[in-house]
Amino acid sequence: MAAAAKKTMTLNLTDVEMDALEDLCQKKDLSKTAVLRQALRLYQAVEIRTERGAKLFFEDEQTKEKAELMML
Amino acid sequence: MKIEFTKEWCLRMAQLEAETPSNFEVGASPLAPEETMEAAAVEQSAASGIVFGRFVRLMRRKQRLTVEKLAEDAGIDVVELVEIEEDSRHTPEPRTVYQLATQFKVPMQGLMQLAGLSKAKDARLVNEAIRFAARSEPVADLNEAERAALEALVSVLSER
Amino acid sequence: MSIDVSKVFLFDNSAKNLVEAELLDAIVEKQLLDWEDQWIPARDEVNRRLKAAGVDRSKWPQTGHWSWRDKQLGIKGSLSNPSFCVVHADETQGLMILDTLPSARLSSQAGKPIVYIDYLEVAPWNRKHLPGDVPRYGAVGSILMRAAIELSLQEGFKGRVGLHSLPQSNDWYANKCGMTDLGPDPAKQNLRYFEMTPEIAQAFINRGS
Repeated sequence: MAAAAKKTMTLNLTDVEMDALEDLCQKKDLSKTAVLRQALRLYQAVEIRTERGAKLFFEDEQTKEKAELMML
Repeated sequence: MKIEFTKEWCLRMAQLEAETPSNFEVGASPLAPEETMEAAAVEQSAASGIVFGRFVRLMRRKQRLTVEKLAEDAGIDVVELVEIEEDSRHTPEPRTVYQLATQFKVPMQGLMQLAGLSKAKDARLVNEAIRFAARSEPVADLNEAERAALEALVSVLSER
Repeated sequence: MSIDVSKVFLFDNSAKNLVEAELLDAIVEKQLLDWEDQWIPARDEVNRRLKAAGVDRSKWPQTGHWSWRDKQLGIKGSLSNPSFCVVHADETQGLMILDTLPSARLSSQAGKPIVYIDYLEVAPWNRKHLPGDVPRYGAVGSILMRAAIELSLQEGFKGRVGLHSLPQSNDWYANKCGMTDLGPDPAKQNLRYFEMTPEIAQAFINRGS
């Protein structure tokens, strides 16, 4: 949001990582930068909540079973 | 991030907001347990929505008004009036109920209860409302039975 | 922390003209102090009037229990929770917190990122509660809505915006904003979930032109 001075970073990715990134770009209709930004936000959000004592789960839509995600 | 807002846009939106009876708060608020929209409360409001909507429609037809004319005379939003008559889930704004009470010459308190905006304290009103809903038809001309049902409800409303 | 200020215009309903105001892309201590010193007493006054008019508690402003101080604390430093406020005459007129992580639910947009409006509230004096109430300033809510859309565009989310509307606001989001009503959401106290497509978002921005 705030147009603070932006810093540039160079990222070296393997072919596999690049493919995964491009696949996500396709699915989400986002640029590579936007996808990586979202990834950072998600990582931080999980971290903040985990620090507060919450746990992150995926729930199976059919069985309603919860499988705990390993501590990220 | 900086955004460009023109005076015209802001003015237009202010006009639109003024036309809308509702406010626009957003957010799943952590309500106190007794105030959460439990299934029962949702059903109850749907039931009062049916009675209120039908009442408004019959009173309008009794006064031989179109939806537009009633909206104009009562000083309320046409879209909201349509929703009141047709969408039983719609919750009317207190202001709209007030305007309709004035238009139909029935006490505000009674109509607010009928609209589900205040808790029904009067069992007679609740019963009469149910009888009214059972006997009245949303379409077709106001027949004798409907007229009688309407008069009965109005008379109970006016006793308050 | 750098805050961007955009010039906006509010409609003064008594003077019947536009007045200049600011949209800030942050909620800071000043907003929280305004909320405590001005919004809360104003809200209490509204509740007193509603009680006197016999309006059922369930129809009182559901934002009544909100603590903006708690909300702001909850999002401090969070990259995924941008916030905005509207200020005029040194008074906070509206507050909003967003979430950039959720995905759209509309089938035409499924899986694509959306700007979700977590909370949006305008100051009590800018709302209508009872017959005869005239809001002090108009356009505050619309300006915040627009900020959400513009952020969505800036993020590459094409203007997609989603929100759960409090019951008294359904009409505004459905009819005046043109959002699609996806129905009551049992995960959010049966509040209705609304979503805006990129096309509707553009139409919102183009209103009045």
